[in-house]
Amino acid sequence: MSGTMIPSQNRRSAAPGGSAQDEDLQQVEEASRRMRRLAMEMIHHAGSGHVGSSLSCVDIVAVLRFDQMRWSASPRERDVFVLSKGHAAPAWYSALIAGGDLDPDLVTELRQLDSPLQGHPDRTRCAFVDVSTGALGQGLSIALGRAQARRGDAADSHVYCLIGDGECQEGQVWEALLYAGARRVDNLTLIVDANGRQSDGLVDDTVSLGPLANKLAAFGWRVVEVDGHSHRELRAALSAARRNRGRPSAVIAHTTKGYLAPGRAALDGAHSGLLDADALDEAYELIGAAR
Amino acid sequence: MTARATRDWFGEALVSAGAAHPRVAVVDCDLGSATKTGAFAEAFPDRYFQCGIAEANAIGVASGLAQEGMRPFVASFGHFLTGKFLEIFQSIGLNDTGVVLVGTHAGLAIGKDGPTQMGLRDLALMRTLPNMEILHPADGAETRQMVDYLAARERPAYLRLCRQPLAEVHDRPFRFVAGRPDIVRAGADIAVVTMGGMVRVVLDALPPLAEQGIRPSVVSLSSLPVDPDALRRVCGAHRTVFVVEDHYVTGGIADEVARALLELPHPPRFVGHGVRDYGQAAAPDELYARYRLDSRSIGEQIHALAAEIPVGALS
Repeated sequence: MSGTMIPSQNRRSAAPGGSAQDEDLQQVEEASRRMRRLAMEMIHHAGSGHVGSSLSCVDIVAVLRFDQMRWSASPRERDVFVLSKGHAAPAWYSALIAGGDLDPDLVTELRQLDSPLQGHPDRTRCAFVDVSTGALGQGLSIALGRAQARRGDAADSHVYCLIGDGECQEGQVWEALLYAGARRVDNLTLIVDANGRQSDGLVDDTVSLGPLANKLAAFGWRVVEVDGHSHRELRAALSAARRNRGRPSAVIAHTTKGYLAPGRAALDGAHSGLLDADALDEAYELIGAAR
Repeated sequence: MTARATRDWFGEALVSAGAAHPRVAVVDCDLGSATKTGAFAEAFPDRYFQCGIAEANAIGVASGLAQEGMRPFVASFGHFLTGKFLEIFQSIGLNDTGVVLVGTHAGLAIGKDGPTQMGLRDLALMRTLPNMEILHPADGAETRQMVDYLAARERPAYLRLCRQPLAEVHDRPFRFVAGRPDIVRAGADIAVVTMGGMVRVVLDALPPLAEQGIRPSVVSLSSLPVDPDALRRVCGAHRTVFVVEDHYVTGGIADEVARALLELPHPPRFVGHGVRDYGQAAAPDELYARYRLDSRSIGEQIHALAAEIPVGALS
């Protein structure tokens, strides 16, 4: 398999694939294409939702769900996933549908009355949602509690928490970062979906995070930066994070809001909004995924 | 029995609960010495999580621990803890996770530290959450039973505790039943409904009233939500219901009682009394006197309410 077959492998992953390891990424690749399409279909049916925020993290979620996480239908036997940026719920729901955990018919149920697919994840309504989120900044703290409770468990399980870069403006995130570093919670990996944008504009123009990697390192974290659309880079960083001991791990995944394909973003990377029928068709074609 | 603060009883009961229930844990916010969690920390260091001066994170960490099957008690001043309302709403309420929030220093009793530390609006906030159980013990016997009760449960809860020493209000044997109005003294004509530290204060107002033939009932609303039928039965048997609370007069138990009573075909006369401004710094005794929440002032208010009842109609 050559690198050119993987549209998400762009600027940083120049080396062509070919190893046995990369062969396994074919499943992730197919899943991510399907997830992109499902997420867009869901939001289209719902008539509202966060296209840009969902598409920026599809590759991260695909690598987690289909490559890194220990998965089981039983919450006790699987790794934990906390989607702290809860408005990207369609990215997670699409992984659950693509993985066969949820009925594909639910694609029309996002944001509908009594649906398990609430606008933001709700663990009381969906068995595959580990933590209810929505108001930003709270997920990492809960992930920490779950990780601390699981420390040294026989299954050697791991807790993953995905937050947005704009979300890092919330004070609670820094309380949690400080606590994790001080307690050396090493069975937890934080992934920052660094798409550089937030509701009102660019993160740098709103309240810049400055050198985020340095800040996390200063808080006691092991930090790696990757191309958040490269499955290979994500896999390498997340596997290393899982093996890492003695410190919490953070992966800063540089992404493009609304990412469809290299150089192409839905709604030009807007935070939310709806694609019209033509734009949707064009997006599906770019993604190259059948339902 | 010597008067002690419910937070002291709590600290001891927590150690017993920790021994009886391996899933009981404590999450602290750098106020362990004030909230009395130190003994637990010493006895069960593996189940003690010090989060420092960061209540929002502590609430989240506790939620995560609870989601993994533990029963964490998060302790801080009630004012600080419930100040993180968005976090409580989502990380505990909406997640429906079994965290016990322990809010100490209820009411005016913190005194000279003033309104930035006073738990005067914690009930109002916690009452809005549909799955939040609220418990506020009046003495040591009730505190111990409430901690045991909470340790064995799995739903969100708020345990409100007092700083001031309180003499026991219950004659033994006493059995706490969640949601049941606790009739501490059975009387006639006037029902004084209160909770927590105010129960003792109201009881201490009774002897001078008795000399004048005024014998009100005293009802402790020690847990919410209360059984509304039971509350209506108790209150409906009186001409006047007087609610006394060490809390803002809006959002607390006066609202809870009034809502229940308004469904009666002929509601009794209703008077609610609590704190009507932000509070201020002063010695606790001075504050309780100023806000008319000391035994003497409450006695005067009950006396005035009794005077409204037509002569000869007092039972």
